[in-house]
Amino acid sequence: MAYIHLDGVSKQYGSVWAVDRVNMAIEKHEFVSLLGPSGSGKTTLLRIIAGLERPTTGRVLIDGEDVTELPPHKRGVAMVFQEFLLFPHRTVYENLAFPLRMLKLPKSEIEARVEWVVGILALRGLEKRYPNQLSGGQQQRVALGRGLVGRPKVLLLDEPLANLDRELRQEMEVEIRKHQTDLGIPFIYVTHNQEEALSMSDRIAVVRGGRIEDFASRTDIYDRPKTAFIAQFVGRSNRFIGTAATAGDTISLSGEGVRIETATRPGIADGERVAAYVKNEKVRLRPASAGGAGAANTLAATVRYVILRGAYAEYVLGWSGGELVASRPRSEAEFTEGAEVVAFWDAADVDLFPVPEDSR
Amino acid sequence: MKPRVAPAIFLGIPTVFLVGLFVLPLLSMLVLSVWRTENYHIIRDFSFHNYEVLATEGAYMTFLLRSLVMASAVSLICTLLAWPIAYGITLYGGRYKLLFSLAFAVPFLTGEVLRIIALQGLLGPLGLLNGVLLSLGAAPLRVIMYTNVASAIGLVYLYLPIVVTVIYLSLLNFDQRLIDAATIFGASPARAFFEVTWPLNLFGTLIGFALCFIPCLSATLAPRFLGGPNGTLYGMAMAQQFGESGTWALGAAMGVVLFAVSVLLVVGVARLIDLRRTGFTGFGRG
Repeated sequence: MAYIHLDGVSKQYGSVWAVDRVNMAIEKHEFVSLLGPSGSGKTTLLRIIAGLERPTTGRVLIDGEDVTELPPHKRGVAMVFQEFLLFPHRTVYENLAFPLRMLKLPKSEIEARVEWVVGILALRGLEKRYPNQLSGGQQQRVALGRGLVGRPKVLLLDEPLANLDRELRQEMEVEIRKHQTDLGIPFIYVTHNQEEALSMSDRIAVVRGGRIEDFASRTDIYDRPKTAFIAQFVGRSNRFIGTAATAGDTISLSGEGVRIETATRPGIADGERVAAYVKNEKVRLRPASAGGAGAANTLAATVRYVILRGAYAEYVLGWSGGELVASRPRSEAEFTEGAEVVAFWDAADVDLFPVPEDSR
Repeated sequence: MKPRVAPAIFLGIPTVFLVGLFVLPLLSMLVLSVWRTENYHIIRDFSFHNYEVLATEGAYMTFLLRSLVMASAVSLICTLLAWPIAYGITLYGGRYKLLFSLAFAVPFLTGEVLRIIALQGLLGPLGLLNGVLLSLGAAPLRVIMYTNVASAIGLVYLYLPIVVTVIYLSLLNFDQRLIDAATIFGASPARAFFEVTWPLNLFGTLIGFALCFIPCLSATLAPRFLGGPNGTLYGMAMAQQFGESGTWALGAAMGVVLFAVSVLLVVGVARLIDLRRTGFTGFGRG
């Protein structure tokens, strides 16, 4: 029996299903991300777990207890909000002590626990300040501290890093994951930012249109996307569209002047329109002088721009079918803008999905 | 250095306005209050005679105390009524929020005198309410016939819209999601109200209270038309000094006393309230 169960949870607003028949089982030590674009229903799902929204149908179980009918203050959960939502009329100390006061803990226990959380979140010296006297990063730490201090059954995080700048975000990612590991309670983390989801999660649930598109380990989500949506949404990919032709155990896609070959997979019929995705970092480059441009999974291209990303370089390539992006480590041979190259990739690195009738 | 013109204009104009239309008249009242009036003439003799009259003649003390009690009661009733009304509008007003809050301003489209006289027609001995009671064979409600209760009803009616509007604006500025945060961290809805909603709207509530209390202290129309023989309030007595009795200097002294009482109350309340505890962030950072 998993620690948290969502059993056929749906939420209807008017005629729209914001959350649609979601089933999830989350283990006690897991860090789970709900990853999806805005409006996908991920925040609604989180608020249902918190008790801030009532599901239209379905049940929510936490630690074996059916909490569907319980109001938030009786669920023993905690939450970190995107806008922090610290109590502006309370000092840092009082904000941190709030969940403990609600638990009616003795004063000495409250002091000890606040002291503990002040220590682990490096908030020492700020206890007497009011939230508007803190920087964004400090407010974020207080919000996280308020979430952890009551030792909740589960910590829900709603895009907690969205309002922080990039550097601080990456620092907090490491910190949040560390606290989750140390405390051994599940964290459910809502984000639209795939980097955050990938950097911290054990498992990622990709949410789209109120449904869970896939719920799997982060490596599975990244390396073996189950749907075209995931292939497009997670990681950065190049897309090719063409018509499928099977021959033995290989399937090839031709169109736009490139032939893509990969192992056959169930669910794709001969003659069907398919989309092939190749992640940017799976596209490799060699100089055009090395030849071999006509083979499958290769194409001749010209380097249009080079975008330097520090440890790696992104080559924006022009070819007869449009543009293609290749991310390569800086340790490899570098190409300059205008260079003629051959881009190629392994058949195993191609993800293939049928193109739905209603999309381009 | 570039001369900073904008602050001078934006802060200067209100300052000139305040000095010209508030400070100067008030100073003139202060001066007038230490002179005296005789046969509708101002006589420039410096003395504290007017203040002695106010302190020694029992009637003025009674009027002042009655006014303080009246203003406190009316402001309290207005605040207690305004909270659920304003909260109801923010919670359930939906897209008609603006309409609801504007509806409260509709009575202001008529004059104050008209509103009070209309109320007189409702509450008086031959008014609508008692008329219906009498025609049903019941005894009329004496308590609303030219009494202080009738005055209070009139004042509540006059100032409730202001209090509702002020508290409504405070609630509109209040981030309701803080209630979510409080309940998530274990507060019941009632507890969340007293931990978060009430303190964070206390400042607005006090402003609403004060905007009712201070005009009630100097109310003249409601006690005059509704208050009956024992309903004279301080403001009404003061108005009489400038009107019928022509004792302007005494009236000026009453005005100074009223102003001093109001200032004392505001200062007293301000000392009791820690603005930070109301989430007031107007101090800037640091």
